[in-house]
Amino acid sequence: MVNVTADSNKSQEKTINMSPWAIARRKFLRNKLAMISSFFLLTVIIISFLAPFITTADISKVNIMQMTLEPSGDHWLGTDKSGRDVFTRLLYGGRVSLLVGMACTALVVLFGTIVGSIAGFYGGIVDSALMRFTDFVLNFPFLVFVIVLSAIFRGYVDGLTILIVVISLLSWGGVARIVRSKILAEKENEYILASVSIGCKPSKVIIKHLLPNVLSTIIVQSTILFAGLIVAESGLSYLGFGVPQTIPSWGNMLSASQESDVLANKPWIWMPPAIILTITILSINFIGEGLKDAFNPKSNR
Amino acid sequence: MNMTETRETAAQPPETEKEILLDIQNLKTYYPIKGGFLKRTIGNVKAVDDINIQIKKGETMGLVGESGCGKSTTGRTILRLLTPTEGKILFDGKDITKIKGNALRKARQDFQMVFQDPYASLNPTQSVGDIISEPIRNYRRVSKKELKPEILELLGRVGLPAEAYDKYAHEFSGGQRQRIGIARALALKPKLIVADEPVSALDVSVQSQVLNLLKELQDEFDLTYLFIAHDLSVVKHMSDRIGVMYLGNMVEVADNKSLYAEPLHPYTQALISAIPEADPKKRKERIVLQGDVPSPANPPSGCPFHTRCPMAKAECAEIKPALKEVKPGHHVACILY
Ligand SMILES: Nc1ncnc2c1ncn2[C@@H]1O[C@H](COP(=O)(O)OP(=O)(O)OP(=O)(O)O)[C@@H](O)[C@H]1O
Ligand code: SF4
Ligand SMILES: [Mg+2]
Repeated sequence: MVNVTADSNKSQEKTINMSPWAIARRKFLRNKLAMISSFFLLTVIIISFLAPFITTADISKVNIMQMTLEPSGDHWLGTDKSGRDVFTRLLYGGRVSLLVGMACTALVVLFGTIVGSIAGFYGGIVDSALMRFTDFVLNFPFLVFVIVLSAIFRGYVDGLTILIVVISLLSWGGVARIVRSKILAEKENEYILASVSIGCKPSKVIIKHLLPNVLSTIIVQSTILFAGLIVAESGLSYLGFGVPQTIPSWGNMLSASQESDVLANKPWIWMPPAIILTITILSINFIGEGLKDAFNPKSNR
Repeated sequence: MNMTETRETAAQPPETEKEILLDIQNLKTYYPIKGGFLKRTIGNVKAVDDINIQIKKGETMGLVGESGCGKSTTGRTILRLLTPTEGKILFDGKDITKIKGNALRKARQDFQMVFQDPYASLNPTQSVGDIISEPIRNYRRVSKKELKPEILELLGRVGLPAEAYDKYAHEFSGGQRQRIGIARALALKPKLIVADEPVSALDVSVQSQVLNLLKELQDEFDLTYLFIAHDLSVVKHMSDRIGVMYLGNMVEVADNKSLYAEPLHPYTQALISAIPEADPKKRKERIVLQGDVPSPANPPSGCPFHTRCPMAKAECAEIKPALKEVKPGHHVACILY
């Protein structure tokens, strides 16, 4: 008990001379669940991206001799119905799923932030026009559109790229709305008026003064998005409209469970991607919660 | 009129009339009220409704009035943080009413603002060094490192320690934060500073320190001030001349002495009677105003003050009195004069 008080006293002292970012970072580092999740996520990311160095098995080659083998020394997680090594596919699949998730998150955040901050900063007609457009995009039937677009472009452009672009183009609306409302609130502060008064150009007011003060929201939002977009990729792939079947992804691997025989009797084929997907999504969400907490000046962890 | 002439001719060493730095003519700033189905403009908040102000170089002009009478709007319009609906703003001979973009940005170097809220007026993600060097770096290509000596000097000048340079605003008290804001306004060595209630958010004990600092800086940096306050006693210590605003209108302008010795407008009289007076012999009867301030979205006809004026006559509801000089240097907008 004594120790705890001493520690919290020390932490009080330490906040002196620290930027709000440094304070948030320290709070985050002390959040155990968020730290464990970060560690897990980082491990998954590193192992997935190092897949070619970890396993040498061929991911795409169909091997009739080794179909649906149970886990063994040779095949740690067994093989699927085409005789491909599940562990290898899990690693490569993670690479694709995470890559799609990250690329989509990056594009969505970038586009949403640009639209939202311009709308919020300028207000008036610019705001109305941009927000009408945002509503329009938000009301698009997502699934139908993804299916139609990927059907149209399949064959012309690389399937993965289409998927990333299509998901991103349809998903930035939420971020734009949140960023806009944050900017609207933030720009009422006198320091924004001050920044205009000291001669900052509009672009500088947005980038240097407004965005850093809504960045915490954007970061928390992007973790939530990252999780959501990985799920979206998996869902689409499961339905057969996502990542092309030739490329392994967690969603594609899961789609094997559509066969009731696999679902009931061959759990090693679909359980690994299901488990890893679930834990990954959970840890991303814990990280998001941790960040939210760290950025909240009122929380005292 | 007669007296002005005599003064001008009688002056033996011709008193060099100070140059006018800021000349505001018939300034109006309205905020549109949007409403209805298509968000059309359905009315206006007449926050500033036709005012004239002249401020000479080196002078401090005080601006007083109740909350909501349009003081901040006036200050912000003058600094072109808002665009006037009508009227003219001449700064140092140049018309800055309509300029925008880069021309406006350039012009801003000469006029700065000290804000009311010491908490909201500093960006929480910037260090003090960043906050104060930013204005300079907006106009000069110079690294933060090169600027550091200059910034440290400014910090010292406003009474902050050199260690403040690397700290963040949240580590300071209200008074210290206001000093940071003052240093930021000073960084560009402007000619005019609009101080919008710079001490009203501070503890009484710190108020006078900040006011004294502003006075010292005025001499040192050759500053002209437009000093806004809702409190006549604060303005009294700071200003050479004082303008009294009511509901977006300027109702009286006079030099400090004559305004307090001989307030002419019934509104000014009421304001002055409300100042607590320590000396019981000087104590006058307090004039308590009836009713509320009307809404600037729907101002009364005629004299804006007639709904509350203890001296109102029938014609006050019809004729809007213009601000006129009834004594040398003493202007008032009231039909009684
Ligand atoms: N952005 C705005 N939109 C609409 N009306 C506004 C806006 N800003 C101010 N007003 C209105 O304009 C009037 C004048 O406001 P202003 O802030 O200039 O008053 P003030 O004299 O500075 O008051 P205070 O002492 O409270 O600071 C008020 O009635 C206010 O409600
Ligand atoms: S004009 Fe009439 S209402 Fe207005 S201040 Fe003078 S006496 Fe009062
Ligand atoms: Mg104000």
